Amino acid sequence: MLDIAVHITQVLLAIGAIGSVYRIYKGPSVLDRVISLDVMLIIVASMMIVDMVVNDHQDFIMFVVITAVIGFLGAVAIARYVVVRSPEEVASESSEQDPYPAPPLAPAIPGAAAESEPEAPHDPVSTPRMPGIEVEEGEDESTSWFSALTRSGFTPRRHDDAPADDDASADAEEAPSADTAARPPAQKPSKQEDRDA
Amino acid sequence: MLESLDADLILDAVASVLLVIGGLMSLAAGVGLVRLPDLHSRMHAATKPQVLGLLALLLAAAISWRSWEWVAIVLLAWGLQLLTAPVSAHVVGRSGYRTKHMRRDLLTHDELASAVERISRDIPPSRG
Repeated sequence: MLDIAVHITQVLLAIGAIGSVYRIYKGPSVLDRVISLDVMLIIVASMMIVDMVVNDHQDFIMFVVITAVIGFLGAVAIARYVVVRSPEEVASESSEQDPYPAPPLAPAIPGAAAESEPEAPHDPVSTPRMPGIEVEEGEDESTSWFSALTRSGFTPRRHDDAPADDDASADAEEAPSADTAARPPAQKPSKQEDRDA
Repeated sequence: MLESLDADLILDAVASVLLVIGGLMSLAAGVGLVRLPDLHSRMHAATKPQVLGLLALLLAAAISWRSWEWVAIVLLAWGLQLLTAPVSAHVVGRSGYRTKHMRRDLLTHDELASAVERISRDIPPSRG
């Protein structure tokens, strides 16, 4: 009975390993590959456990223990250095099938953003990319705070209960100014093109 | 004699069931990694063999070895995995949210977006 269970388990583990390898090969981002590598590591440890059950020895148990201890270090180290995904990439992935349209998001500062451009096209494909300017066009206002934080290399404080408000307000004051400075020269040509067309 | 044979049979059956459960968790992780559309949903699938599958396989190994000492070591390994798996999942998920490795159109509700928007609007939080 144990032999049959071992064979079944090995087949299931092999299928899981194949799926994990497929995701490592295909994965669009490095984070997908990281979590697939975690699964791969667990599957290797599981294979060793099955081998220990079959041959009735305990040689590999320390591998399992050490895997549990240090297995997360790779994911933590890589996740610190993931680049922000570009808006074109986001649009190309989500514009194929859009059964659930995204909820309308209000701009970060209603007065400033609305006055500078009344009909700001939020379609990320039509807005041109500008290299060298921090605030990316066509970005969700709700996540631009996070991505600007990520790009600036800002490390938050550990105990940020009260000081978090100060940081957030400073960040919110900086972001719209860069926003209004960056947008009008870039989007006036596109608006004129729209009027001509 | 007969009772010990029965105990062996029962223990072997329990170990076999646990082995197959562990293999099924790994199969679920593989299928989920291939089929699911998003980083965060793939993370949901990837955590199955890390905790429950490893627990099942380690308990099956400890049962098949018939020793209490290895049960302690096995539970040590599983406890360490239980401590470190949420750390990596939290870091990967946070990094995936910040760098937008997610399908926003597949979400039904994004609780973090309202918090981020509130902070970026510089409205002081109503509670606390």
